[in-house]
Order: sequence, then C-alpha cells, then structure tokens
Amino acid sequence: MSAGKARFFLQAKWTGARSKMSRQQQTFLGNGPEMKVSIGKLELKNPVMLASGTCGYGPELADVLDLTNIGAIVVKGISMEPRAGNPPPRIAETPCGLLNAIGLENVGVEAFISSKLPWLHERNITTIVNILGNSVGEYQALAARLNKCPGIHALEVNISCPNVKEGGVAFGTDPEQAAKVAGAVVQACDLPVIVKLSPNVSDICSIARAVEDAGASAVSLINTILGMAIDIQKKTPVLGNVFGGLSGPAIKPVALRMVWQAARCVDIPVIGVGGITSASDALEFFMAGACAVQVGTATLVDPGAAGRVLQGIVDFMQENHYQSLKELRIGP
Amino acid sequence: MPGRFDISSRIVSQKEIAPDTFLLRLYAPEIAENAVPGQFVMVRPGLEEERDPLLRRPFSVHRADPDAQQIEILYRVVGRGTRMIARKQAGSHLQVLGPLGRGFSLPKGKIPILVGGGLGTAPLLFLADVLEEKRAVVVLGAVTRSQLLRLQDFSSTGLEVLVATEDGSLGNRGLVTEVLDRLLGRLEKDARKNVVVFSCGPMPMMRAVAGLCGNYSVECQVSLETAMACGLGLCLGCAVCSDTGAFLHVCRQGPVFPAGQVDWSKI
Ligand SMILES: Cc1cc2nc3c(=O)[nH]c(=O)nc-3n(C[C@H](O)[C@H](O)[C@H](O)COP(=O)(O)OP(=O)(O)OC[C@H]3O[C@@H](n4cnc5c(N)ncnc54)[C@H](O)[C@@H]3O)c2cc1C
Ligand SMILES: Cc1cc2nc3c(=O)[nH]c(=O)nc-3n(C[C@H](O)[C@H](O)[C@H](O)COP(=O)(O)O)c2cc1C
Ligand code: FES
Repeated sequence: MSAGKARFFLQAKWTGARSKMSRQQQTFLGNGPEMKVSIGKLELKNPVMLASGTCGYGPELADVLDLTNIGAIVVKGISMEPRAGNPPPRIAETPCGLLNAIGLENVGVEAFISSKLPWLHERNITTIVNILGNSVGEYQALAARLNKCPGIHALEVNISCPNVKEGGVAFGTDPEQAAKVAGAVVQACDLPVIVKLSPNVSDICSIARAVEDAGASAVSLINTILGMAIDIQKKTPVLGNVFGGLSGPAIKPVALRMVWQAARCVDIPVIGVGGITSASDALEFFMAGACAVQVGTATLVDPGAAGRVLQGIVDFMQENHYQSLKELRIGP
Repeated sequence: MPGRFDISSRIVSQKEIAPDTFLLRLYAPEIAENAVPGQFVMVRPGLEEERDPLLRRPFSVHRADPDAQQIEILYRVVGRGTRMIARKQAGSHLQVLGPLGRGFSLPKGKIPILVGGGLGTAPLLFLADVLEEKRAVVVLGAVTRSQLLRLQDFSSTGLEVLVATEDGSLGNRGLVTEVLDRLLGRLEKDARKNVVVFSCGPMPMMRAVAGLCGNYSVECQVSLETAMACGLGLCLGCAVCSDTGAFLHVCRQGPVFPAGQVDWSKI
C-alpha cells in the first residue's frame, strides 16, 4: 500500500462524513488514484491546500478539519514587523462573493516563529508560509529568517495583495519588479518558492514567465480581484479602506481563465486559486492545467470544505478511471 | 479550548413571536451541551450547494437546553439571509457552526444587572437561566410594549425584571439607561464594587450603558456585533477598535468584551 495513495478521511464531526468515510476507506485502501504532487523538491500528499488568509495559522480550524489530511496549509501572510491592518468595516458580502480589506494584519515574523509555527510543526502539518514585504529587501530578509526554521516546507510570495498601498500591488503588476522579488527570495533560502500572482494585470503570462526565469518553483493564482461596494443609504463606501479584494465563487471564471493562460506559458507547476468551493470547481482547474489547488473563501463559509473537495476529486477520478491528476489536463 | 461543531441541525420549531421576529428551536446536541451565555452560532441561510448568499449569519445562543439537546435562536428579519431562515419549516435542516466566541464571564460574588434593548435580549435570557445569584436584576427596554421580547420567560427565571418603553406602554417611560442610572445611583459607593452589568443591544444603547458604568465605576461587559465571514478567527474581518488603538476580533476575543476595552468613539 503506497503512502501516497488516497488515504484520508473527512473529519468525523462533519455531518454525514461517518457513513462516507467507511465506504471510502474500503474502496481506497491501496488502490486509489495517485494524488501526490511535487512543487520543486516538496512533495505534497495530495493537491488540495488551504489558501492564505482564510485558514489562520491552523489551530483555529482544528476542531472542524483534520489538517494532517490536507495537502498543505498556507498560513496568513507574514511581514517582518507585526501589522495592525485596516480600519473596520473590513468585509462585505457581494453576490456569490466576499470583499475584504483586512490590510494584511499579522503577528510579524518573530511571533509567527515563536508562537504559531510550533503548533503546526508538532503535528507534522505541511506548512507553506505566505510572505509580504514593502521592499525587495524585506522579502529577502523574511526568506532568510524563515529558511532556518524547522517545520516550514515552502514559501509563497505574495506580490499581489491589493490592500496595502506601499508596494504590494506594484510588485505584482510589473514583470521586472516581480522577477526582482522572486529572485531575491530564491537567493535567500533553500525552500521551494511559490510566487502568488495578482489578477489585476493585463498580461498574466509576462509576469508568470518573469518569475519562472527568476527561479520560482511554482506560481499560484489568483489573489483577490480589486473591487468595492457602496452603501446607498449612508452614501459611503462599505469598506473602511474603500477598496477591497473580491474572492469566492464570483471570481472563479476569471481565475480559471488565468490559470489556463499561465499553464500554457510556463513549465513550472501552476497552483489554481479562486472561488473553489466543490470538487467540480477544483476539477475544472486541473483540466485548465493546474497541478494543485487552494481552497480559500469556501473555508470561511464551511470550515470542512477542503476535506470535501479532496474527497470529491478522488471520487470523480475513481469513477472516471483517471489514474493521475496529470491525465485531467485538457490539451498541451 | 472547548470544541466547536459544524452540524446539520433539525428545526424543532419556528414561531413568529412578534412582527418579523422569530424564535427558532434547533436540535443541536453538541452545541446545547457546550455553549455558555454570550456565545454565538453561525447559521447557513441556504443549502450547501447554494453559493448565494455566500456567508453564514451570526446569532447569539438565546437558550440552551442540554437535556432536550436543543438550542434556541431569537432573531429579526432584516435582510435576505434572515428572510431565508424565516421561511424554513420545522423538520427541515440548517447547517449550524458553534458554539463560538467568548461569552460573559461571571465574577464570583458580584450581583449581576442584565441590560438588554430590542433584540439584545437574545443572549441575556440564556444568561438569566444560568445565574446562581438570585439577587440579579434584569432591565429590558424597547420602543413599545409589543417589541418587548420574552418578558414572561425572563420573569419565570425568578429574577427581578424592570421594564422601560420609550412610549410608556409598559413599565417606565423612557430608556433602559435611565432605569440603570437610577439603579446604580441608589447604590452606596462601596456597593458598586459588588455589581456587574451585562449588556447587549443597539450600539447607541451599549455606548450609553458603558458610559454610565464608567461614571459609576461599575464593571460592565458588552456583547458586540460586527460583520463576520467565518466566526472562527480565520479571516480577521470582524475587527473593532480597542482603547489601545489595536484591533479586537469580535468572533474570537468576543463577542463579549469588558466595556472599557472598546473605543466607543470609533464604533
Ligand atoms: C455575535 C453576533 C450575534 C448576533 N446575534 C443576533 C441575534 O441573536 N438575533 C438577531 O436577530 N441578530 C443577531 N445578530 C445580527 C445578525 O447576524 C444579522 O441581523 C444578520 O446577519 C443579517 O443577515 P441578513 O442576510 O438578513 O441581512 P443583510 O443585510 O442582507 O446581510 C448582508 C451581510 O451583512 C451582515 N450583517 C447585516 N447586519 C448585521 C449585523 N447587525 N451584525 C452582523 N452582521 C450583519 C450579514 O451577516 C451578511 O453578511 C448578531 C450578530 C453578531 C455579530
Ligand atoms: C479574508 C481574506 C484574507 C486573505 N489574506 C491573504 C494573504 O494574507 N495573503 C495572500 O496571498 N492572499 C490572501 N487572500 C487571498 C486568498 O488566499 C485567495 O487567493 C483568494 O481569496 C481567492 O481564492 P478564493 O476565492 O478561494 O478565496 C485572502 C483572502 C481573503 C478572503
Ligand atoms: S469573522 Fe472571521 S475572524 Fe472573526
């Protein structure tokens, strides 16, 4: 029985999971489709991850999702210094979507290492750290600081968050700047480096190629799409920050299109993110050319979502006789 | 940390007890056993495969009955999500996550005064149910008599119940804060140390309650509302400003806070 075969269970507390679990266990012990994926030198036991900013640092979710069965957790974006984030209101619901302007609130790299990372490390949870900086130097310093920490399996470089005025968006919209950040992070650490791309660009391929050339092990996309909402009674923008990032099912078609494009212009793995709520959403991304996926907003609504997505992918592959994820891809 | 549970919960009953105001009874054993007063649940208005409306809605636990393994939610229809929940019939199911957040903390030996306005009475009945201190007082307010919710149930807890209506249709004419002001004003300075106020209601009311308690140097805990996406501490969307300028996260550090921790000028 290969350890990489699909052997995981939905968390038993999850409604209805109990009956499903025993059926799946019987079916899959030993002969499920191959679910392992490689990102640089990192091997994930399966291709479903939790997206940064939607899963905290892990413990918040532990009651309702078994994190050891998930491909990886991508923790909330970390900066050198702690950040307080944006003034409230920070979120607004839109049709099939969520606008957020959290403003990259985080505990800072030192507190992350001392008080958040040990919990993940002790449980052997595959951990990818999302990093963000205001300068190339800050990204580099973060990579160097995190490099020596046991329990970190890869870095994801956020060059795309639209919320922070001093830089985030500039790195992600200019191929040269994106390459500089990617190159600096790759130089500063031995970990696989994933670069997370912004959808708020006109040519996703030039950015994806630039970070590939700079040595990135993979790209993930998309981050949120810049948007806003207005309260017509109060005649003011809903969000304290005026603009926010749109996520959730509303952005899936845009994410899918961009993953399709990126997968056809780079050779490194492409990780699909954006609106994935169900296994069929995820399967669309694999067919578009993604090698792995991240579940974001769906986890906020339904903390067990990633487990269900994973189970559904295996079910589909089994029923339709796919042996590997690569076979799902459409065309070249 | 006590467990949180995401369960498909059967609706035991649902009644419109006042215009647009519903009392929902759910079969939710894990939540009924674990909830403490002031905690809340996140309820999904639609079905799992529906993506609109996207987010779950937060509601206080109005009552928990571990023996019957049921909880109650008291809510008002204000928008799409609550309208969808109100249409559900007994026997159908709702996806419910909870119990969430930090509830009221009961300082030993202090006499509680519960101050609720409008729908703010929702978490207070659960609190009144479990209070061992029988000298506690409940102060309830509403615009008019018909909007005073669950009065009978508060009375049957055996606690003293004072009522204020803005139109004078029942109890004192005026605001709950006026009743509270008189209550606290009557106390000797030393006695004020032995009182704790628990408050839930519209923001202007809680601001006034917090102000009064500040003036009288009486301990006060308030239950806050903000928009929430997850209720679990995952998204950091539920921030409010604290007295230190840092942000508080209502779903995890709250929804109940010491009134002094909140920056009331920014709410
Ligand atoms: C901790 C907590 C406890 C609550 N307890 C109760 C309760 O016991 N009874 C009750 O009637 N209401 C309670 N509320 C308010 C309740 O959550 C809102 O009335 C409800 O979410 C409105 O949903 P809607 O779709 O009908 O309204 P819409 O206006 O269509 O909702 C749009 C979005 O805004 C959010 N929203 C709107 N109003 C509020 C609000 N006041 N607070 C938070 N989010 C809001 C919704 O959740 C949704 O995401 C509580 C809120 C919080 C945060
Ligand atoms: C509340 C919230 C916070 C987020 N924080 C981060 C972050 O810190 N770093 C990052 O790279 N992406 C962040 N994202 C973006 C998500 O990781 C994801 O790329 C995006 O939401 C699209 O996926 P989804 O539709 O599945 O949510 C955040 C998204 C949300 C909704
Ligand atoms: S609602 Fe998501 S962190 Fe509080």
